Amino acid sequence: MKRLSSMSRERRTQIGRFMEKVGPFTALVVLAVIFTLVNPRFILPMNLVNVIRQAAIYIILAVGMTFVITGAGIDLSIGSMLAVCTCVAGALLKDYGWPLVPVIFLTLGLGTGIGLINGLIITRLFLPPFIATLGMMVALRGVALVHSSGRIYHAFPTSLLTLGRGMIFGVLPAPIAIAFAVVFIGYILFAWTEFGRYCMAIGGNKEATRLAGVNIYRFETLNYALMGFLTAFAGIVLMGRIDSAQAIIGTNMEIHTIAAVIIGGTSLFGGRGSIGGSVIGAVILAVIANGLILAGVSFFWQQVVTGLIIILAVTLSIFRERYFYV
Amino acid sequence: MREEPLVKMVNISKSFGGLKALDGVNFEVYRGEVLGLVGDNGAGKSTLIKILTGAYLPDEGEIFIEGKGVHFREPRDAEKLGIAAIYQDLALVPTLDAPANMFLGRELKKLILGRVIRLLDRTRMLQETREVLRQRLHMEISDLSRPVHVLSGGQQQAIAIARALHARAKILIMDEPTSALGAEGREELFRLINQLKAEGVSIIIISHNLVHIFAVSERIIILRNGRRVGDRITSESDRKEIVHLIVGGEDVK
Repeated sequence: MKRLSSMSRERRTQIGRFMEKVGPFTALVVLAVIFTLVNPRFILPMNLVNVIRQAAIYIILAVGMTFVITGAGIDLSIGSMLAVCTCVAGALLKDYGWPLVPVIFLTLGLGTGIGLINGLIITRLFLPPFIATLGMMVALRGVALVHSSGRIYHAFPTSLLTLGRGMIFGVLPAPIAIAFAVVFIGYILFAWTEFGRYCMAIGGNKEATRLAGVNIYRFETLNYALMGFLTAFAGIVLMGRIDSAQAIIGTNMEIHTIAAVIIGGTSLFGGRGSIGGSVIGAVILAVIANGLILAGVSFFWQQVVTGLIIILAVTLSIFRERYFYV
Repeated sequence: MREEPLVKMVNISKSFGGLKALDGVNFEVYRGEVLGLVGDNGAGKSTLIKILTGAYLPDEGEIFIEGKGVHFREPRDAEKLGIAAIYQDLALVPTLDAPANMFLGRELKKLILGRVIRLLDRTRMLQETREVLRQRLHMEISDLSRPVHVLSGGQQQAIAIARALHARAKILIMDEPTSALGAEGREELFRLINQLKAEGVSIIIISHNLVHIFAVSERIIILRNGRRVGDRITSESDRKEIVHLIVGGEDVK
């Protein structure tokens, strides 16, 4: 670190910000090159579209999680929440014969409502987000199991399957288009509105934000409600893609989503985040999953590699904050 | 004897649990005055200031601004009446840039699609930040888009003051404003304070450093154990007397 300490603070910040901007993308390119060298089929357009299609669900979730983590929070309950939402939607469609559109609205409302409860537990009972959502993660998984009692819902209406499997103009898979619409709106919300600004401010210095007259509890609560809404939304798209819903769906989804956000450069300590980075983070995880399969590595190793990547990403992020002041 | 005070706080009390942080404190500030507020740790300075800025509600007592009784329920109420505070930790969000900090809580927006969508007007916020820093504080900061925690202490101080000025502050409260500054930044701060005073802004300075208090204030109010124990004209007092009042011992009334 000798050469580092001789650099001005200003210069180091510049380097740090540059690392933050190009780091995740560089990692993605390097991974793509390695996987292509191992198995050239990786780089085929058909495979790449497939990778992004698989990433689509995580991209939607990662947008919401970027807001949450930037606001110095975390939401561990989204996997279980997704299970509750999809199971309820599945039951309404198959057992009660509801038409699709009301089911979608009700499911989105359900997700938003659960998110709101998360937010209220955190802001009104003053529970740390980690604990509150850990409790909700366990409880909601239980709710999903009780509700569906082991049933698997499937054979959904074709219009729902179109959301998960359809093509737009015959080339662009619907989930990808949907995910990028979410990313676009998410980016506007994050970088160009009060809501995103207050997320960053709350994550950066909660007390200063409160003293500036911002109703921090309202915005924090809304943040978890948005996460809930996007979780339900991702659940609907997922149902369309895999044509099934059951209580164990979405297991480990929260871990992958958080990993995508952190890999994308959002600070684990809050205050700074990047929607674009989170998208790249989600794609990186999908690339690793796909690349390892093409390389003939056992599926089980995927989890080991993902775990190590998370540790590496967080290490780099701490290193960057310590030595490059970003 | 003097004109109506700009701020008058009467018989203010506040307890936290069983601890009486303030016990019947009277406090007043006049227009264009630089007032030093001193006292030991736990004497009640911060509590008093937080009541004045609406961050805490008093258990008892009344506040008058320009003779009118007011009730602050939240910081925004106080801000509307021209009371602004710059807290010890500067109350800036370290990860946000200068314009974001200056406009925090009152962002400028532009309307798109006939008022349906309200987006942050980042260009205008950046311009106005540069303008306030340049014209009112004579400070030039290159690249205002950097997060403020990479700026120098003096620069951060200037941004916090600019934030208050932009909110049309009539009373500026500074909590330990010199603690994060080097000698150069301190001179800069004293220059800023005199400039603000010339514009008719009242300034309350809280500091442990009596040298700084004597260098810049006209009047000093001393708190001890939640009570007001002294009110001195700076030029008619000396550090020894003030220290006596702060630490107690025999009464120097």
